[in-house]
Amino acid sequence: MLKIILPTMMLMPLTWASKPNMIWINTTAYSLLISLISLTYLNQLSDNSQNFSMLFFTDSLSAPLLALTTWLLPLMLMASQFHLSKETLARKKLYITMLILLQLFLIMAFSAMELILFYILFEATLMPTLVIITRWGNQTERLNAGLYFLFYTLVGSLPLLIALLHTQNNLGSLNFLMMQYWTQPLPNSWSSAFLWLACMMAFMVKMPLYGLHLWLPKAHVEAPIAGSMVLAAVLLKLGGYGMMRITTLLGPLTSFMAYPFMMLSLWGMIMTSSICLRQTDLKSLIAYSSVSHMALVIVAVLIQTPWSYMGATALMVAHGLTSSMLFCLANSNYERIHSRTMILARGLQTLLPLMAAWWLLASLTNLALPPTINLIGELFVVVATFSWSNITIALMGTNIIITALYSLYMLITTQRGKYTDHVKSIKPSFTRENALMALHLLPLLLLSLNPKMILGPIY
Amino acid sequence: MSFPKYESSRLATQPATLDPAEYNVSPEARKAQAERLAIRSRLKREYLLHYNDPSRQGLIEDPALIRWTYARSANIYPNFRPTPKTSLLGALFGFGPLFFWFYVFKTDRDKKEKLIQEGKLDRTLSISY
Repeated sequence: MLKIILPTMMLMPLTWASKPNMIWINTTAYSLLISLISLTYLNQLSDNSQNFSMLFFTDSLSAPLLALTTWLLPLMLMASQFHLSKETLARKKLYITMLILLQLFLIMAFSAMELILFYILFEATLMPTLVIITRWGNQTERLNAGLYFLFYTLVGSLPLLIALLHTQNNLGSLNFLMMQYWTQPLPNSWSSAFLWLACMMAFMVKMPLYGLHLWLPKAHVEAPIAGSMVLAAVLLKLGGYGMMRITTLLGPLTSFMAYPFMMLSLWGMIMTSSICLRQTDLKSLIAYSSVSHMALVIVAVLIQTPWSYMGATALMVAHGLTSSMLFCLANSNYERIHSRTMILARGLQTLLPLMAAWWLLASLTNLALPPTINLIGELFVVVATFSWSNITIALMGTNIIITALYSLYMLITTQRGKYTDHVKSIKPSFTRENALMALHLLPLLLLSLNPKMILGPIY
Repeated sequence: MSFPKYESSRLATQPATLDPAEYNVSPEARKAQAERLAIRSRLKREYLLHYNDPSRQGLIEDPALIRWTYARSANIYPNFRPTPKTSLLGALFGFGPLFFWFYVFKTDRDKKEKLIQEGKLDRTLSISY
């Protein structure tokens, strides 16, 4: 694991010591090399974990998320080049340092072997993200957004700290290797109900669950592009990953404690998809679509069946790539038009046909077109919830239809029709932007050929 | 030669000069028409100035559009006030569906659980769950 952590840490001196015209090239190239190293971890040979030390390990669950995280850093750097081009050199280097720091914490969080280490890194990821949102966002609402983001997650995760310390006192160790063998079923009492709530609320806020999702549209919309990318693609998955890890401790309680959250997720899935249809702001639409997809993951993790875990893992990886790509596309619009209102930039297909192709593919993967991994994830989750209760098929089916509706609405509004008069003089697509979209889409399409590596430990 | 009588349609509205009421309007109405025409032509002139400005890069800012997007996205909660009507609506449509679905799923799952306990549910072929 050190062969990923140390190079990532050394990316920081690399940015500060590089010549001004080489900072982007250096950091992007080396972070791409680091991501190629992490791809070797995808070769999981058994359903047991691959343990590197007492602190770090990779599992079939954490390896895909680790690969996603490391793959995303070069993409974030490529996406940020334009909007930082007017800043001073020191500010550019500071921004890149924040991204690298965030990356470091995320890598360690996904490979942490101990729950308290995971918790510390989970909290630590908030700091660089807050700095990125509040310092480099574009509108005045970014301060409000940062506040909501920080305090929602902190308030949700403070009970988790207490619960983890209590559990460590009881069990002796929170190491993942030993947790599988030492956990006892929780007794059926009020205090264990509170323990269950304390453990899960942090991840529910992070996912986010429908009732606690208020921070997400604000944070995603106000963040700069790299912030949006890392938030949508990776930080939400921290919540899913944490939930999947911590349910091993929580015994037989989940079968009835999960009901309120299942209801919130099942109904919230439809509500947030419907809200997407009413959005005027493009980034807000993509943010609400993230909530909807993550609600599916929450449902899958709470019913705890083999197929649902496979679906949840696949959905997390697929949604990470898709959502990040949609934010990059929205950003390519924003950089030309300086407004996020969807109707201001219409008919782009006639002006930027290659970008329209990327828009089409991103929208198709967002609505879970076969044979992409988005569909595999969603299908597994739908089948698993059907076995949980037959009636969920009505809600799931409605959600799939509404997802298709808003994805196509987004595509048609931005791409089809006659272009607005003032977009005639926009700059054509840069190679950097096309490469960005291609690098997002390539893993997505390749994984459709071999999805078993993202199906998690149950496969 | 006689032309057929003009009939207006959706895309070809009746011109003002063919409307007999046009010739009997009062001076106040005329003044109001002139004021509206002045506003319209001022706005059109501003728009054309922006549109043909060679140093313009990007959008023409439309204050009405900015106000509309602000009202639709960021200005909702400051104008919200809890009244009996809004509280009732919130409870009904916000919490109502949650309790409804909880009731639906709980009864369905309990029914299934009872069948399983009695051994009556046929799960012989169910391998993907």
